[in-house]
Amino acid sequence: MSNFAQPPLEEQVTLLELVDRVLNKGVVLTGDIMLSVADVDLVYVGLRVLLASVGTLDRLQSEATA
Amino acid sequence: MIAAPETTAWYVYGVVDASAKIGADQLRLIGEGPLAAVVSEVPLSEFGEEELAQRLNDRAWLEEHARAHEDVLQRLAAVAAVVPFRFGAIYRELDDVSVLLRERRGELSAALERVRGRIELGVKAWADRDRFEAALGDALPEPSSGRAYLERRRTEHERAGRVGAQLGDIARDAHARLLRHAVEGVANRPHPRELTGRDEAMILNGAYLVADGDEALAGEAAALDAEHGARGIAFEVTGPWPPHNFVEPRDEV
Repeated sequence: MSNFAQPPLEEQVTLLELVDRVLNKGVVLTGDIMLSVADVDLVYVGLRVLLASVGTLDRLQSEATA
Repeated sequence: MIAAPETTAWYVYGVVDASAKIGADQLRLIGEGPLAAVVSEVPLSEFGEEELAQRLNDRAWLEEHARAHEDVLQRLAAVAAVVPFRFGAIYRELDDVSVLLRERRGELSAALERVRGRIELGVKAWADRDRFEAALGDALPEPSSGRAYLERRRTEHERAGRVGAQLGDIARDAHARLLRHAVEGVANRPHPRELTGRDEAMILNGAYLVADGDEALAGEAAALDAEHGARGIAFEVTGPWPPHNFVEPRDEV
């Protein structure tokens, strides 16, 4: 791994970064999967609490249905 | 144990080479051809369909488990090329994981090659609007009459639009400069203050794929920070991250 003059990664993993990466990006599975955040609206209920932002929520929902 | 008991299911973190050595007790590699999925057993009491629906409303639970997902991917990325999956991919049976690897082999193999030997860096730019406006220097005249007040209101409005446009130009220019030091990059939509919790406005929310060990992009971000710091704009680099932003099929990005 590279060694940048930055804080340790565990300190960088803010909620914001988790939203930007873990919750909003990555390969999305659909189909026979038992549960995938991509094809279940439920996560947006959770994210409503998490984000407390109508604008962001609208974007997530429009991405989910795109 | 071949199949999970009915009280558990399989959570998929991502995909690595079938030959990868990950050496983590809590994780299992499910190999299928050249690829392997990294999975762990999770209780249906938390990750079942209805249960998860409840848990997703629990911010503390969601944050804890999103963090655990990221933690696994970071440990994987430290030792192997990895294609990160989005949070919450859960299968009832391991056989279904094998089917996934078989059916999407082409796409997943391409994603693995795309990120091999590379890392993701994040660059966010933050603007202190007051400092930025002050640095612009053109102070507004004090109103001396009703007409002057209206004039001033109009001037303020125009000025706010001008400031917004200038900040947008700075963000676009910075992204273009950062891209020159990256294999690929994406400018994601900046988040509103309600989410960031910061006084400064986020004007750039970039993610960049760079060769592991290449520090040029971080250097460019530092140069941008030095250039714009006096005007109230700060550039912050995070990472290295697993390549979350660079594994989706490109036509969907």
